Amino acid sequence: MPTHGIGRWGHLVTREPPKKKKDRHQMKPILPATDTAYGTLNVIVSGYDLVIVEHYSQYIHNLCNRLGIKVSESYALPTKSTEVMLMQEQGTKMYVEALLKTHQRVVQLSSLDASLCPLFMDVMLKCQPEGVQLAVKVHTEADYHARFKARPEMEGLMTKLRH
Amino acid sequence: MSVALSRCIGRVLSRQVASSSFVAGEQHHAVQSCWFVPVMTLKTTAALRAVPQKKKKKADPRIEALVRDRLKKKLRKLEKIPPEFIPIEDFITPSKCLDETRQRSTSRLSVEESERRALLLKEWCLYKQKQHMAEVESVELALKAQKEALKELKLESEELYQAALKPDPLLFPFAHEGPTFTPPKENYEAPDGKYVDITKVYTQ
Repeated sequence: MPTHGIGRWGHLVTREPPKKKKDRHQMKPILPATDTAYGTLNVIVSGYDLVIVEHYSQYIHNLCNRLGIKVSESYALPTKSTEVMLMQEQGTKMYVEALLKTHQRVVQLSSLDASLCPLFMDVMLKCQPEGVQLAVKVHTEADYHARFKARPEMEGLMTKLRH
Repeated sequence: MSVALSRCIGRVLSRQVASSSFVAGEQHHAVQSCWFVPVMTLKTTAALRAVPQKKKKKADPRIEALVRDRLKKKLRKLEKIPPEFIPIEDFITPSKCLDETRQRSTSRLSVEESERRALLLKEWCLYKQKQHMAEVESVELALKAQKEALKELKLESEELYQAALKPDPLLFPFAHEGPTFTPPKENYEAPDGKYVDITKVYTQ
């Protein structure tokens, strides 16, 4: 039959292995800097306005896709709440003025070509919206572990065992 | 002749001195020789209040080993539990928004208004597309110019070309603040106050 198997598409889609729910989140390998490229970099966007910060981080992600820069991860760091306390006009007491929330988004690049770097930085700086702070840092293991909850019991046991 | 005489006199004198010292007493002899320990010199030390030490129980190292084993077991149990991510407040919708009692009814639009809105949307899309195309074009032009410049540099000198491809170690960490609507006020006195960090600390 000439129409045998028409409409079949299952063989075209790559089947992913079934993901175990209890899999530990593995840290992606941190690449060191080579002769022509930088290693794993973190582009951190932070600001008080959530919408602008989110949109800017999405813009940077799209820019990386367009320029061919590999993005290993794109995640959010926990929000920091800051209370602004002002001195009262009469008296020495402090009263709570406002609650500010600093949102942070991180775009992790696995490697950045040194030739693309100046162009990439230029475009990012030109499109930076107001009230948003841009920071580019080298990714370290400490940064990775800062995303997880602190485990004081485990750390206490480890210090006890060492001594 | 005179030298030999003086030597003889010296030898006689030394013999006389030696014999006289031997006759005089033990003291001189004792100080000079090393075989006699003087009893006269007494040595005193500070008062040491020592208590007879308790005998070390032999079970101590065993108890220590047991305690260590227990701690190791506890540590192994804790290590089996995978670490959890700190929950991000941005991604959790506040309970106020999930309240179904508050609802807003959509207002009815006239035909002209909806048409005006549709046309405005189309104009905005076109404007944004032109903006995006212009940006992409400028990026491509910059890349092309860079490639040509690098090609020329390679023809000029290989060393400079290799140096140009190297990454800059002093660039990171890099930080930049966004532009502001208005410049900072001159002679502005900020009110007294402080910032208090009240981020919730999560422990597992």
